Amino acid sequence: MAESLEKLHYRILSDARLKAAGIVEQAEEKSKQILEESRAQAQRDANDLLSRASLEAESIRRSILSSRIRANRLRILEEKNKIVQSVLKSVEQRLSDIAGTDQFESTLKRLVLEAVEAVGTDKAVVKVGFRNAEWKSLQSLGQMLPKGTKFLADETAIDDLGGVVASDPEGKMSFNNSFKARIERLDNQLLTTISSTIFGE
Amino acid sequence: MSGIEAVRKIVETEGQAKQIVEDAKLKAEEILARASEEAQKFRQTSTAEAEERKAQMLRETRERAEADARSSDMETDSLLENYKKLFEDRKEVAAKKAVELVLGG
Repeated sequence: MAESLEKLHYRILSDARLKAAGIVEQAEEKSKQILEESRAQAQRDANDLLSRASLEAESIRRSILSSRIRANRLRILEEKNKIVQSVLKSVEQRLSDIAGTDQFESTLKRLVLEAVEAVGTDKAVVKVGFRNAEWKSLQSLGQMLPKGTKFLADETAIDDLGGVVASDPEGKMSFNNSFKARIERLDNQLLTTISSTIFGE
Repeated sequence: MSGIEAVRKIVETEGQAKQIVEDAKLKAEEILARASEEAQKFRQTSTAEAEERKAQMLRETRERAEADARSSDMETDSLLENYKKLFEDRKEVAAKKAVELVLGG
């Protein structure tokens, strides 16, 4: 009996040790699995984070570059505009001073004839006004106008730069042929001419 | 050995066996806890490394973009200088052409 009791004792402990080993082994397996899954998840998380970072970096790069390029384009446009406006100012000055040049009479005739033709009446009223224009040269023009045309010489420059305004006797219809009006009508062409001459575009 | 003594011995042995299993369970819990802790640490380290790489990537991108932007500034400066020269060289011709256009257009 003592022998079988000893065997039972041994058996009980042996079973317990086996069970214990199984529990530990299972825990070690589970532990290994936890670490592997953790590594894999961590790798996925890192990849996701770096992938989003890559997009963010591209967005930052574009933002920095595009804002600077926009600013530089604006600087270029402002400089071009400044240059064109400077030339236009010089043009206005030259036109304003035309009365002192040998181009004056021919120009005046052309402006007057264009304005009279535009109004389309035999009894047009023509008003001229230029800075520093000699009264005599204006009067001599008056004598060359078609019969019936009323000639008025203004002492001040029409629209600041000078020019001609023709109208019908009732003043219902008029044609402004001042330099200012001509500049406005030719606005696009002038800008193109100046721009292409300066910048070669 | 008496019957009572045999039963006592078996009960004692059962107690030992139970203790062995309990110890194993405790050890298993410790193993799993250590694994969880290690996994947590690993994730934290991995995330920290990735965050660091992200910060570096963004810093380098920003620096490169700033350098490119400075290059664009310099190109623009050079272009503007050229415009000033062109203006000085061609302003007379441009004004003359524009005046002719206004007078004869």
